[in-house]
Amino acid sequence: MKTETAHTKTPTRKAPVKAVLLEGLFVAVLGVVISFGANAVSPRGLTLTRNYFPGAIRSPPPAAAAPKPAPAGTTNAPLSTAELVAARLKAKDLQLVSLKEMAQLFRDPRYEQQLIVFVDGRDDQHYQAGHVPGAYLFDHYRAEKYLADVLPVCQAAERIIVYCNGGDCEDSEFAAVTLREVGVPNAKLSVYAGGFAEWATNGLPVELGARKGGNLRNEKK
Amino acid sequence: MKTDPSHSRRTVLDVAAVLTRWLLGALFIYMGLNKALDPVGFLKLLRQYDMVQTPLLLNSIAAALPWFEVFCGVLLLAGVAVRGSALMLLLMLVPFTLIVLKRALAIHAASAIPFCAVKFDCGCGTGEVYICHKLVENCLMIVLSAWLLGSRGRKLAARYSLAKAE
Repeated sequence: MKTETAHTKTPTRKAPVKAVLLEGLFVAVLGVVISFGANAVSPRGLTLTRNYFPGAIRSPPPAAAAPKPAPAGTTNAPLSTAELVAARLKAKDLQLVSLKEMAQLFRDPRYEQQLIVFVDGRDDQHYQAGHVPGAYLFDHYRAEKYLADVLPVCQAAERIIVYCNGGDCEDSEFAAVTLREVGVPNAKLSVYAGGFAEWATNGLPVELGARKGGNLRNEKK
Repeated sequence: MKTDPSHSRRTVLDVAAVLTRWLLGALFIYMGLNKALDPVGFLKLLRQYDMVQTPLLLNSIAAALPWFEVFCGVLLLAGVAVRGSALMLLLMLVPFTLIVLKRALAIHAASAIPFCAVKFDCGCGTGEVYICHKLVENCLMIVLSAWLLGSRGRKLAARYSLAKAE
């Protein structure tokens, strides 16, 4: 009788644990299948095999970019954001353009002739909210959507300047590398690291909505 | 007519468990959908953690995880496979919390600001948050998930257990 009780008690204590683990496994497997299915049918879904960060270089956390006073007698203070970006661009073999150069290129007659082309590497939402007048939208995360328009323009141009928001934003670099990968000569490509934020806060013209839509404003601050 | 105190206590616990199940379910659906509707944004945030270097693996996590959270949230809300879903929540929450903590410590070490003043978008689906708030929130969700795992939240559940009717 005693043996029977011991025999029946053990499975009843173990069964819930096993049942929960099996149930968890079932949820995990079904969940993973449904999740990948949802990604596949979603219009915003990711392409699993694509490298969305071409030429990416591992960087420290954003706060590390903030300049800190170096202790007396030392020179190894953390790099500023601008220095980090410059080092990254150098490693990616991309040229850097300053705000002054950018403004000059914008006023250059070749800009109207599309021999100088500005490429906005941000997403559509940011682009519509404001961009450098005449810049082409090229969200490299959705490259297939924009390449048909951007690539011929870039191939015909003498110089291409890619920008994004500025600061820690790396999208301009990824967009430039993507353009290089699809055949745009590297010598033509430059990155404006100050980005749209710097452009807009320096009172330079801003275009709202679609490219050449005529909705211009000058952000003087 | 006397009411059984243990029965009242059980009723209160049952109601609390159902509310917990709904709260966790709704939270996971909300946070999951926020990420699922902007997978590129989530992918960028995920990359900052430097956990995986392979694009395929990184993309797979960014593509599947948000929908998986939504899936678990729906199961909890409906009361289907409650303990299995709660187990999945625990398996997601514990490592996420540790990873977020690790990143917050790295930011704290790199900048001269107090730990609780560290604020960043952890990719949790709620935008930029103060790290201390996030950690408290996650710990609370871990405790609630563990509580659900311990056979709670049977009331108003469509199918509490998949194994058999309990």
